[in-house]
Amino acid sequence: MKFDTIIIGGGLAGLVAGIRLQEKGRQCAIVSTGQSALHFSSGSFDLLGKLPDGTEVDNPMGMMNRLDAPHPYSYIGSEAIAVYADEFSEMMKRAGVNLVGNVSQNHYHFTPMGSVKKTWLTLKDFTILDRPDNFPWKSVAIINFPGFLDFYTKFIADELEKHDVKCKLSLVKLPFIEKIRTNPTEMRSANIAKTFEKEENIDAFVEAVSPYIKDVEAIVVPAVFGIYSDKPLLYLKSKLNKDVCTIATMPPSVPGIRMQQQLIHYFIRQGGTFMLGDTVERADIEKDEVKAVYTANHSDIKMTADNYILASGSFFSRGIIARPDSVYEPVFDLDVFYDTDRSHWYDTDVFAPQKYMSFGVITTPDFHAIRKHVTITNLYAIGSILSGHNALHEGCGGGVSIMSAMHVADNLLKNK
Amino acid sequence: MKKVGEGNEYDVIIIGGGATGAGTARDCAMRGLRVLLLERFDYTNGATGRNHGLLHSGARYAVNDSESATECIKENMILRKIASHCVEENDGLFISLPEDDIAYQAKFIDSCRKAGISAEAIDPKEAIRIEPSVNPSLIGAVKVPDGSIDPFRLTLANVLDARQHGAVTKVYHEVVKFIREQDRIVGVCALNHKTKEVETYYAQFVVNAGGIWGHHIAEMAGVTVNMYPAKGALLIFGHRVNNVVLNRCRKAADADILVPGDTITVIGTTSSHIPYDEIDNMRVTPEEVDLLLREGEKLAPSLATTRILRAYAGVRPLVAADDDPTGRNISRGIVLLDHAERDGLNSFLTITGGKLITYRLMAEWTTNLICKKMGLNEPCRTAEVPLPGSRQESEEVKERIASNNVYRAAEGRHGDLTKEIPLDNEYDNSLVCECEGVSVGEVNYALKELEISDLVSLRRRTRVGMGTCQGELCACRAAGLLSQAHNCTEKAKADLVNFLNERWKGMYPIAWGESLRESQFSAWVYGSVCNLSSGKTK
Repeated sequence: MKFDTIIIGGGLAGLVAGIRLQEKGRQCAIVSTGQSALHFSSGSFDLLGKLPDGTEVDNPMGMMNRLDAPHPYSYIGSEAIAVYADEFSEMMKRAGVNLVGNVSQNHYHFTPMGSVKKTWLTLKDFTILDRPDNFPWKSVAIINFPGFLDFYTKFIADELEKHDVKCKLSLVKLPFIEKIRTNPTEMRSANIAKTFEKEENIDAFVEAVSPYIKDVEAIVVPAVFGIYSDKPLLYLKSKLNKDVCTIATMPPSVPGIRMQQQLIHYFIRQGGTFMLGDTVERADIEKDEVKAVYTANHSDIKMTADNYILASGSFFSRGIIARPDSVYEPVFDLDVFYDTDRSHWYDTDVFAPQKYMSFGVITTPDFHAIRKHVTITNLYAIGSILSGHNALHEGCGGGVSIMSAMHVADNLLKNK
Repeated sequence: MKKVGEGNEYDVIIIGGGATGAGTARDCAMRGLRVLLLERFDYTNGATGRNHGLLHSGARYAVNDSESATECIKENMILRKIASHCVEENDGLFISLPEDDIAYQAKFIDSCRKAGISAEAIDPKEAIRIEPSVNPSLIGAVKVPDGSIDPFRLTLANVLDARQHGAVTKVYHEVVKFIREQDRIVGVCALNHKTKEVETYYAQFVVNAGGIWGHHIAEMAGVTVNMYPAKGALLIFGHRVNNVVLNRCRKAADADILVPGDTITVIGTTSSHIPYDEIDNMRVTPEEVDLLLREGEKLAPSLATTRILRAYAGVRPLVAADDDPTGRNISRGIVLLDHAERDGLNSFLTITGGKLITYRLMAEWTTNLICKKMGLNEPCRTAEVPLPGSRQESEEVKERIASNNVYRAAEGRHGDLTKEIPLDNEYDNSLVCECEGVSVGEVNYALKELEISDLVSLRRRTRVGMGTCQGELCACRAAGLLSQAHNCTEKAKADLVNFLNERWKGMYPIAWGESLRESQFSAWVYGSVCNLSSGKTK
């Protein structure tokens, strides 16, 4: 199997790079285990929420020059980031994903705890605020389903009431959701979302909530509408005649799953090859060049390409793996940044910045991977596998994935 | 402040909600005494909740401490009867490896038999058949009646029974002062950590069952009990590696006991003397983890590739004797101090030393002494009367267990008390914790009946968050239920933050491989998606 580019990892970074290249006619294959961080995303992408020293950031573009190497943004540069930001939103639109946001002004979205959090881009599904205290309504009805434990109406009501929003909590019992509960472990957001693929079930929902929402300005519901497309949510909105505010549930994230599905389908429609449920296990490397890679399902078939992009994620996605005394990259054995003293990896406060979060592969400023101190000329690393940033502490995970993917794809497009 | 005669008078005040305190409360209450149990934090917060969960046969002590060994085997047999819902009758093997002196085996078996412990040398091949995970290079094995015991369940069952017999129990009540009249202790002042108020209670006798903290409690009363804080670190593995308790047949050393319990396996312990002022803040070091793994792999080689769930440490409440730097040569025997005799301070007793498995005997000795002093002639019945949870199960419960998986999981934890758990509709049946099969009904039962104040105590009572995901989603779900029950979301969120930090305390010492994956995932979910932070919620 021969491609222009083989991308290892089908999360946000891998898909963005794949789509960017495929749209310009490059033949790409994405090898994906299927699961990615998108499955528990909040429905928003962060660009920059904090500087490494903890300084809060309201205008990400205004603060870009405060980031030094090896931060991935410092390699890309703020001018390119501004351009990519626009191009990314357009590209997502073509894939059917509608986002709102501005690189020069973070906005606020709701967390499953009911608090608000700043971010860069948010799916149009969700309500956003331009300021953390600027709520668009004075009264809402918060709706949940009996036995759905991953949506906390009480927490949400408490936060809203702090801002003088009157909240009414209601549980609506619907026979098709009750049916899911026959098995105690099935009451999850994704299963509920599947029932709302039928318009008649949304009609039933609208009827069930109607007694509760007469005298409120908006209705707050868990984000369980639209797992394959945004149609169910649009249909719900058209039927309700009220503001509908969806709030993310605990994982899995229905909007996150949908976003990944939409990106995969768009990539395939552009002619890309998506190898689902497969993993790249090893590679042939000669001197400074990758010659071929081999996957778990096709271990005897050589997959070759002019270029390779490693977008296999951080520890969670097994892009890098920690041993008690070291951290390694399992496919190519790339050079990884980590601290050799394990006692430095962690802070005893679980919410403090954790050093292990900044471990990742070391690259050149154009994201070429490095192996045993040698730059591999046709292998790039993008997304959360990169070192030099702490996605959680700095609120830059989505942005680093998107920007590094756009940047590497553009460089590949320029070179030929 | 309450005055005498306002319902704050008791016969006995027991300080400490570990197994010993709870057992003493039960025994005293069963003999008709008016009992008040005061616990500083939550039940099982000290050494009771931080050990192997090993139902010792006594074999480990047989060679060096035959008295302890004899006590152990007797109590072992009693607990199998009175606490059957807390006990797994797994048996144990004492194995000899090529590096061990096989001659020790004969001495070991001889000592066991003298202490009344059945000990049978078996062929290494037979040992491998009984316990396939055992190190196949073993050169000898002895089978003994070891088992596993759940100390959380055991302690709670004692508390419940004490209450059924009229005892009053108060968690989050810390004794801050003793009330003394001349040479007699007549009561205590306790700080209620929830209301921040100091409450006063009077009694004829005060029992210090504070474990390692008993050192400080005695000091407050004006007497000296020198405790020797010996820290022991342990690791929990993510599944049941072995079904039979594995020990090394040698002089007791570090990390040579591997105990299966419920869905997990525990290796331990290390032993190191620590300064007294560190007993409230114990953290497991990388060196301890490495040592436990290195030694553990010798018992069961597959530990090398088994995921570690948590690391934790407890402090053995040993009474200082000589200047032994390891603390291993101090007797594990029971120490009952009558401070009237010893120090001329009347009405004050200290019960300490001993082991989890001898808690009942310790309670019996203490209660006997109190009864003697009071001139009461009530016999001890705790060795015969089963604990709540270990009584006959009704037909109704049996039927429900047969028809309902969720009920079956709860039955393992609550025994015959499962009948109290509402699981009749689908809502009660919804699972909060999928790893351990804890339902909404069970959580609500615990909230109502088992003195739950936060997620950490909920975990101890129900195993919520103890499974492979270590509370990934269930912590948040349980926090939601807690906030409904207590009608206080701020507190529930603060609890959640506290629970996640407690969980991290056990995870970071072993956070590599799968555990680091899980840690990163929960950091994203709780730190990023939920935007929680320490100190206060944002």
